[in-house]
Amino acid sequence: MTGLAGKSMDRKKHRIMMVSDFFYPNFGGVENHIYYLSQCLLKLGHKVVVVTHAYGNRSGVRYMTRGLKVYYVPWRPFVMQNSFPTLFPSLPIIRTILIRERITIVHGHQAFSTLCHEALMHSRTMGYRVVFTDHSLYGFSDAGSIHMNKVLQFTLADVSQAICVSHTSKENTVLRSGLPPEKVFVIPNAVDTAMFKPAVVQPSRSEIVIVVISRLVYRKGADLLVEVIPDVCRLHPNVRFIVGGDGPKRVRLEEMREKHSLQDRVEMLGAVPHAQVRSVLISGHIFLNSSLTEAFCIAILEAASCGLLTVSTRVGGVPEVLPDDMIILAEPDPGDMVLAIERAISMLPKVDPQVMHNRMRELYNWHDVAKRTEIVYDRALKCPNQNLLDRLSRYILNIICSI
Amino acid sequence: MVKFSISKGRYTYTHDQKYPCENVDIHHIILKSCRANYVFVYTLAVLLLASALYLCILGGKSISIVYYSMLFDIFLVKLLLPKPVKKESVVIMPAFGVQLETHYMSGKIIRCFVPIDKILKPVLVECVTPVTCYWTLSLMIRGESEMVLVFKNLRPPVKMLVHVWKALCAATDIKEEALNTCTTYN
Repeated sequence: MTGLAGKSMDRKKHRIMMVSDFFYPNFGGVENHIYYLSQCLLKLGHKVVVVTHAYGNRSGVRYMTRGLKVYYVPWRPFVMQNSFPTLFPSLPIIRTILIRERITIVHGHQAFSTLCHEALMHSRTMGYRVVFTDHSLYGFSDAGSIHMNKVLQFTLADVSQAICVSHTSKENTVLRSGLPPEKVFVIPNAVDTAMFKPAVVQPSRSEIVIVVISRLVYRKGADLLVEVIPDVCRLHPNVRFIVGGDGPKRVRLEEMREKHSLQDRVEMLGAVPHAQVRSVLISGHIFLNSSLTEAFCIAILEAASCGLLTVSTRVGGVPEVLPDDMIILAEPDPGDMVLAIERAISMLPKVDPQVMHNRMRELYNWHDVAKRTEIVYDRALKCPNQNLLDRLSRYILNIICSI
Repeated sequence: MVKFSISKGRYTYTHDQKYPCENVDIHHIILKSCRANYVFVYTLAVLLLASALYLCILGGKSISIVYYSMLFDIFLVKLLLPKPVKKESVVIMPAFGVQLETHYMSGKIIRCFVPIDKILKPVLVECVTPVTCYWTLSLMIRGESEMVLVFKNLRPPVKMLVHVWKALCAATDIKEEALNTCTTYN
């Protein structure tokens, strides 16, 4: 342990700029990842600065815990929290921040963030080393995905290193962007186990409570829930559901509740603030995730950390997240999901929430993610600096390949 | 008597103690005028006017194009060449107040006095715009939601602002200590 601590002390300290359209005060997977990773990197002695767009009146420079400096650049979000794609007008502010903070590494997050793509392009033009983390899976056939993949190919043509949150995500990113696989590292997300602890007094198992917390949108499988919930309620009279979250599919769930008279069996909480997620989770025994696509899924980590047994769809990177005795996987089909829930109910007596929490503490840790990210930064700094002609040829090759 | 002076780029900072009582502290930020700006803008305006005249006389276009180009020239000059500021000064009179002065090239001086009682704290603030980020020195005023900018037109480097900030902090701290002492004795 002393040897590892010594190695950390000897390691060169970096000045990192995290850039993404998605950060506090929004709450989500990407936002939490950037925040926790930044905090752990600050603890390791690095300097971290976050650049994002302004959120309402939250504009200018703000300081967060441990002196994390956040630049809320006064650009209005364009669509789905993304800044308007300006290309060259973003160069002055990115350059100013890079120079005044004496940045050594630029770390962009999320393929869907226009600010991230522009910052990475300008940083590479200025000769900075660049690392990109992809948090989501994307398709290949629909118009939106095709467009996004072309932009990604252009941006990642010249990136120093890339990080994906699961092996499935790595495969997806490599296929979409044409990056050589040896440049892509897999560093999974983690969970704040200090915040997500099981309840001191466990809820009684005479009535089994299944908790669902997600955005009620198509991508998160809200339509599957509409089919699964009535079947489970019919087969198991002692089961009730708590559904937290909001979105366009909420109306469908409300209609399902009315149609099957499940008002006393299905509780709809609406949007749940992140600070209250734990209190909702510990009121249940089983966590249900019905996503249709997921690169990693931090929600099931949070549920497992609170001692809940998870039932999830077998999509994307979900099978890589939890051991088999903590999660029951099902195909994204209502019948298979109902069977998986039945298996979970039968496994429930053998589940000890505190043991599950302790295992999660060993398995997932943001400090471990930060140390692994440090290794990626060191590797990125060792990459040779290419001259302009080499860089241009890679961009042009990618444009030709994408056509 | 100039006590201290530093220069960086177009900005020069001088710390003065001009008056006999020696308690009055004066800090100047002087801006070197950039002739290149004037040459560029006036050349552009002349070219625009010349093009309009060419189109009117030789191209057969209506005379209104010349009027519009003159209007556009006036707009361009007003936009790109704002009122030229020669220097901005901060006169610190301890236990009395702070006077903020803006000296223009034309000789005009605009003064703004802030009583020492009204100053809660001088602060160095980072301002972020869509294209840049810079430091400003501002005064937090008691009972006001808006801060008062010490240097309203110029953007000197932070190394120069720090000297002025320290002097303002010293002046406001003396006032606070005096207030606390009065409170203790009462």
